[in-house]
Amino acid sequence: NSPAPLPERAIYGFALFLGSWFGFILYLIWAYIPETWLFSLGLTYWPQKYWAVALPVYLLVTVGIGYILLFGINMMSTAPLNSTHTITDNFAKKQQQKKFQEEAIPALRDIPISEVNRMFFLPEK
Amino acid sequence: MAEERRFLSASGVPIALRRRQHSASCRELAVRGPRLQLRSLSAATSAVWLAAYGLFALSENSMVLSAAIFITLIGLIIYLHFVKIDQESLLVIGSLGIQVTSSYASGKESTTFIEMGQVKDVVINEAIHMQKVIYYLCILLQDPEDPQGISEVVPLFQSSKPRLDCLIEVYKSCQEILEQRKTAPQSS
Repeated sequence: NSPAPLPERAIYGFALFLGSWFGFILYLIWAYIPETWLFSLGLTYWPQKYWAVALPVYLLVTVGIGYILLFGINMMSTAPLNSTHTITDNFAKKQQQKKFQEEAIPALRDIPISEVNRMFFLPEK
Repeated sequence: MAEERRFLSASGVPIALRRRQHSASCRELAVRGPRLQLRSLSAATSAVWLAAYGLFALSENSMVLSAAIFITLIGLIIYLHFVKIDQESLLVIGSLGIQVTSSYASGKESTTFIEMGQVKDVVINEAIHMQKVIYYLCILLQDPEDPQGISEVVPLFQSSKPRLDCLIEVYKSCQEILEQRKTAPQSS
């Protein structure tokens, strides 16, 4: 799974490069060459040229709305101030207490908020 | 014994904290926000009336002007009665409970009482609120089934939103009373 260059990746990259150039030239031909010229070549069943302008506009408006939508979804999933999710969660409720050993670093655990508050805000006598 | 100290709220407006000790196990802490300023009231009224006059100049309909006056009056009454909180106070009575009162600018007072058996602790919690991280004081209510669990969180001082220095004062006062619960003999 390393990001090193491999022969297969070089081939995929080159195929994508050629494919994207081909797609772009095809799009330009479709958008700019008049319909009568395309008909005289025999290409009659291509979509309306209206879509050559409409699809990019749709895409850009979707990207713009996506920014606002993501922002809004983030704000909606933030826990409100009166929910218990700001204090604890399922993992903290079910954590197992390891036994206290002398002269060893205490095990990592989720400290309850009352204890944290006492440590921070009440000065030690 | 009453004392008053000035602090700043989370948004920068000046607030005042008043502490009164009624007895050894009863304390009242009140946070007062600034009163409705005349300049902001006149600015809002002038803005609404200018917009209404602009609409009237465009549409030649005089109902716009009377509608603007009506909206301003009703909006002011609704704002004073439902939105603008002048003072929020916390009354902690040692063996009885905690009472939270909000006084609105129109004189309305809304009160909540939480009895001491339900109160697990009063803590300063930090949470994300509208693109900011704020400190706020909250009462943790006990879960009846699980002695270590928390069933509900009641945030306090929601409209004045004091900063950490004011919250630490309130927290220390509350903890002095709540600690007496442990030393006093438990009686149900």
